[in-house]
Amino acid sequence: MSATDRVSLTDALSNVDVLDELPLPDEQPCIEAQPCSVVYQANFDTNFEDRNGFVTGIAKYIEEATVHASLNELLDEGQEHAVMLYTWRCCSRAIPQPKSNEQPNRVEIYEKTVEVLAPEVNKLLNFMYFQRKAIERFSQEVKRLCHTEKRKDFVSEAYLLTLGKFINMFAVLDELKNMKSSVKNDYSTYRRAAQFLKVMSDSQTLQESQNLSMFLATQNKIRDTVKENLEKINGYEELLADVVNICVHMFETKMYLTPSEKHMLVKVMGFGLFLMDSELCNINKLDQKKKLRLDRIDRIFKNLEVVPLFGDMQIAPFNYIKRSKHFDPSKWPLSNSNTPSPQADLMVHLPQIREDHVKYISELARYSNEVTTTYKESGSDTENRETAELALRGLQLLSEWTSVVTELYSWKLLHPTDHHQNKECPAEAEEYERATRYNYTEEEKFALIEVIAMIKGLQVLMARMETVFTDAIRRNIYAELQDFVQVNLREPLRKAIKNKKDLIRSIIMSVRETCADWQRGVEPLQDPALKGKKDPDNGFAIKVPRRNVGPSSTQLYMVRTMLESLIADKSGGKRTLRKDIDGQYLVLIDQFHKTSFYWGYLLNFSESLQNCCDLSQLWYREFYLEMTMGRRINKCTVRHHHNEECNDLVTMEKRIQFPIDMSMPWILTDHILKTKEPSMMEYVLYPLDLYNDSALYALTIFRKQFLYDEVEAEVNLCFDQFVYKLSEQIFAYYKQLAASIFLDKRFRVECAALGAYLLPYPRANRYETLLKQRHVQLLGRSIDLNKLITQRINADMQKSLDLAISKFEAGDITGVMELEGLLEVNRLCHKLLSKWLALDDFDSMFREANHNVLAPYGRITLHVFWELNYDFLPNYVYNAATNRFTKYKGHIVFTPTVHRDKPPQMSHHYLWGTKPLNMAYTTQYAQYSGFVGLHHFHAMCKLLGYQGIAVVMEELLKIVKSLVQGNLLQFTKTLMEAMPKVCKLPRYDYGSPGVLSYYHAQLNDIVQYPDARTELFHNFREFGNTILFCLLMEQALSQEEVCDLLQAAPFQNILPRPYCKEGEKPETKQKRLESKYSALQIVPNIEKLGTAKQAMISREGDLLTRERLCCGLSVFEVVLNRLRSFLDDPVWVGPPPANGVMNVDECTEFHRLWSALQFVYCIPVGETEYTVEELFGEGLHWAGCTMIVLLGQQRRFEALDFCYHILRVQRVDMKDQVVKGISLKRMVDRIRRFQVLNSQIFAILNKFLKSGENDEMSVEHVRCFPPPLHPSLTPQQHYHAPEHLRQAMII
Amino acid sequence: MSAPPREAIQKQIQQDWANREYIEVITVSIKKITDFLNSFDMSCRSKLAVLNEKLTTLERKIDYLEACVTKGETLT
Repeated sequence: MSATDRVSLTDALSNVDVLDELPLPDEQPCIEAQPCSVVYQANFDTNFEDRNGFVTGIAKYIEEATVHASLNELLDEGQEHAVMLYTWRCCSRAIPQPKSNEQPNRVEIYEKTVEVLAPEVNKLLNFMYFQRKAIERFSQEVKRLCHTEKRKDFVSEAYLLTLGKFINMFAVLDELKNMKSSVKNDYSTYRRAAQFLKVMSDSQTLQESQNLSMFLATQNKIRDTVKENLEKINGYEELLADVVNICVHMFETKMYLTPSEKHMLVKVMGFGLFLMDSELCNINKLDQKKKLRLDRIDRIFKNLEVVPLFGDMQIAPFNYIKRSKHFDPSKWPLSNSNTPSPQADLMVHLPQIREDHVKYISELARYSNEVTTTYKESGSDTENRETAELALRGLQLLSEWTSVVTELYSWKLLHPTDHHQNKECPAEAEEYERATRYNYTEEEKFALIEVIAMIKGLQVLMARMETVFTDAIRRNIYAELQDFVQVNLREPLRKAIKNKKDLIRSIIMSVRETCADWQRGVEPLQDPALKGKKDPDNGFAIKVPRRNVGPSSTQLYMVRTMLESLIADKSGGKRTLRKDIDGQYLVLIDQFHKTSFYWGYLLNFSESLQNCCDLSQLWYREFYLEMTMGRRINKCTVRHHHNEECNDLVTMEKRIQFPIDMSMPWILTDHILKTKEPSMMEYVLYPLDLYNDSALYALTIFRKQFLYDEVEAEVNLCFDQFVYKLSEQIFAYYKQLAASIFLDKRFRVECAALGAYLLPYPRANRYETLLKQRHVQLLGRSIDLNKLITQRINADMQKSLDLAISKFEAGDITGVMELEGLLEVNRLCHKLLSKWLALDDFDSMFREANHNVLAPYGRITLHVFWELNYDFLPNYVYNAATNRFTKYKGHIVFTPTVHRDKPPQMSHHYLWGTKPLNMAYTTQYAQYSGFVGLHHFHAMCKLLGYQGIAVVMEELLKIVKSLVQGNLLQFTKTLMEAMPKVCKLPRYDYGSPGVLSYYHAQLNDIVQYPDARTELFHNFREFGNTILFCLLMEQALSQEEVCDLLQAAPFQNILPRPYCKEGEKPETKQKRLESKYSALQIVPNIEKLGTAKQAMISREGDLLTRERLCCGLSVFEVVLNRLRSFLDDPVWVGPPPANGVMNVDECTEFHRLWSALQFVYCIPVGETEYTVEELFGEGLHWAGCTMIVLLGQQRRFEALDFCYHILRVQRVDMKDQVVKGISLKRMVDRIRRFQVLNSQIFAILNKFLKSGENDEMSVEHVRCFPPPLHPSLTPQQHYHAPEHLRQAMII
Repeated sequence: MSAPPREAIQKQIQQDWANREYIEVITVSIKKITDFLNSFDMSCRSKLAVLNEKLTTLERKIDYLEACVTKGETLT
């Protein structure tokens, strides 16, 4: 649309209406105060500028309007001066003072001082002139109204109230001037400088300066001047009594809206009475004359002991009374008593507030639903009235709650706590701290938060309905006004005309002409009422129009004041006008007058709403800052009896603001965070909104940049704290939740049964609502709370994983179980959090923590390998019966002790969540710390993955290689030397003791060899442990893979064979199942729906999963083959047999050496010695057997082994005796045990080694030797079993 | 007071009511536009925040993948 195009009004309006229909969803729950970026408030207050338009009004009231207008301007000016005084910050402290008269740059300093301070001093001068002018004007008004003739006349409510506002203004300005010593200091600094420079040369300026100086220095100057001036006026006390009475009346009938108006009324009562009480006038006597009602005022003063004066300055109105001349305590029984004021106790108000809140909210919700679901052009008169009443009631409730909060705050400020009343309050706490931080109990803080939340929450609801409310309000006010003026006033008018009461007639006519909006533009001239006649029998119909607009402010004032004059107790003449009006109409007029009081507020709904909810003053503390003089006094804090010397230790710290811990908004916010109270968690943003109030006040009322800056600085600090604390506790909460879910249920039950310690699930907290917040309005900024928390929790999560790995790194290999558990809990925690936060992928986080993104092997793999190498292989002892490794417990030290990093210090939430949970899990995992078994291998499998396992094994093989080709080879070579060249199998006839002693003699060198039982066996154990590790890893891996396969099966169209009844075809059943679960099958689905590339990837993935186990790939087999390749030294096999077949008695092959070693370790040991099993475990045997198998010497070993031979012989003769200190029976028992073990090991090894070979292939290697033929033997060798024959040949 | 001026005044008062009603209509419309702008603002912020979140996630993923595929040197 181009700019020149014209849009008709109807089009424009319908365009606006259409806006309503656009759906604008906001996906976050509203838990903050009214969030709006644009505020629109139309102000139609003309301050009586349009008074001359209402020429038909009574002239007196138009004149009065003129007076009002100028008085209002003075009041506004007074407000500006009050702001100036309140926000005055000491300048002179920042200005350097010349130290002596000789200082060379002192002229310059003075010049600058004058230059800087002149504009400020100018403000003070203006202030002095203003107060002079205002007092004069006030006195004039009082004088005019106190004129004897005038006294008889009626003074309007509005007029009296304006005078009351003046009295309030004087009180405020006087107190502010008294309080601000910095103003006086700044002025004297200026004066000194100015005098030095002789800036004030002429006598007039000097006089002015003298006056200002006196004015500032004299305490209570304004108050005294006002009093002095008033006392010169005859009968002023009566007028003031009227002012006080109207305040009492308005206070009692709740004719006020905002809290500040309410407080103003109370202040006027106090200060008014103070002004009245003088030499000439005694308020007690006025009370006796019933001109005042001191008992009612007494009650008001008791209920409201302290009212805010300005900002954080408070005043007890009763103090004015106490200071007055004729103070009589007996007249003030309540205020004078020591019973606490209800103002001081928020808890007594709370139940009522809650009830009102619930009632009102439900009513509003019902109404709001009605409005949004049904479309109406405009409601009926009744509906509009009800809506307007609803709006008014809402405003009044908000105002009441805000009053409760501010009044409590004021009372607390005036009644600071100390270390006697509050044990938490330190003795040296400063004044402001005692008034805020330590001055509220836990309950009070919660109650405050709750009330603030109710205020802010309802404000949002009402603001949302503003257009609906204002529409109804305007229609209602218009209807009531026009109905009253056009219809209700007819009767009194008729009567006045009939009875020729001209004054009444003219007033009523004025009212009608001032605001009647006649249907036809003019008054119906034929109306009989105008002639004082009765209506015709069928009545005289007047159709009152309806509009959507309220009266203008001047119009409303005119109507109300004119009507008030009709019903007033006073009039210019002897007779009041009341007497000439019928009672029923008086009631009507009175009613109208009362109702219309609130119209002004309702018509300015938006502004009233804001004023009713304004809690900005909870932050301001200029009064307390002034008291501290920009310093913090640090007293002697040493705990001892303070004496004179301590005073010398007092130090000053420069400071221009209080820390956030003393600031009400933060105290409340932090209270929720500290207590983590679930019912309060959703309120946490409301106390922060107090900063919005304060900042708005600084910008619009105080108009001070520095105040805004200070609020902003505090908000920056607080919000950082807020996000930090909140994210930490959210993370801790979810970690705790995850750990509680993960904790074994039976363990929990047993804990509960034992009553040892209970581990309850964390109390459900409402963090979700907070986590959904994506735009929180704070000081005009929009903050994505979700994003900020996500960032922090991401970091926490990362740290958590990092610490879990660090913890693992600080312990031995058994820690792998706890590591796995920790990672699982973190994974669960991540999953729970991911519902609300966009955290990084868990696996990426884990890989990052594991340093596994860039490097191929992570920290876990490295540590596992490190532990295997330095601790597991050399120090663990395997036992096949339990299938576990345990730690070697002997005294002989084979390896240096292992040094590990210290475990990192970490807070509970980085581990398992809380202290009790940490304890529970630590206890659980302690069960796994003494051994390495199946669980550990499973855990390692999962943590290392294929790649990790491959790396670890590769590295282990390297170690084994150096072991085999280094130490072991060396030992073998040495020992082979010590072996007898030939060692025969002794005949049975020698008997087993003989055989034993034969071998013992033969093998004496080996038995005596010192390193055999230590170093050599240790090396074999390391070798054996490696083999066992690889074997057990393979087993664990296979189990994991089987699980994988089973879980993957349904997605790969692998279905269990269905059960078939007789006659059913399995194929068809299978087909049906396949089609039933076809949606699960990945490959066909992706081929159908995905791209070609995706299809290919899925096919390959599928293939990989299928083939993994099917082709029987075995890690262990590969390991064995690699080991075989290490055994390439000729010493292992020795020279080829001389007979060309095999060595029988010669000791050249490795298996012979092993037989010798077996003989050594089969020798039973004494009671106190460690057996070989205890020292080295079965790793030793695994090493030996593996080598034998790999060298292809298994059969020869089994056939020719020395110990086996002893065993065989002993089996026959069953002898037992001690041969060379060896108990034969015990030895044989040991041999038997090891024989079984050896056969098991051989069986396992052969199973792996032979798995890939076909029987026919092995047959090919068989060399066939024809059996030697003995002539004495028959050709049939029937006693040779053919399989025995074959066995012999394979050897 | 004679009749014609009175009538004129009454007409003026009526005119004043009409004018003010007109002003009120405009004011209300501006208020509605303001309300609309505010809810539009809220709604947009909400949506933009979600979008931002998605972009951040993607960015972080890319960072991660970049780190995975590079061998120490950056892709740029």
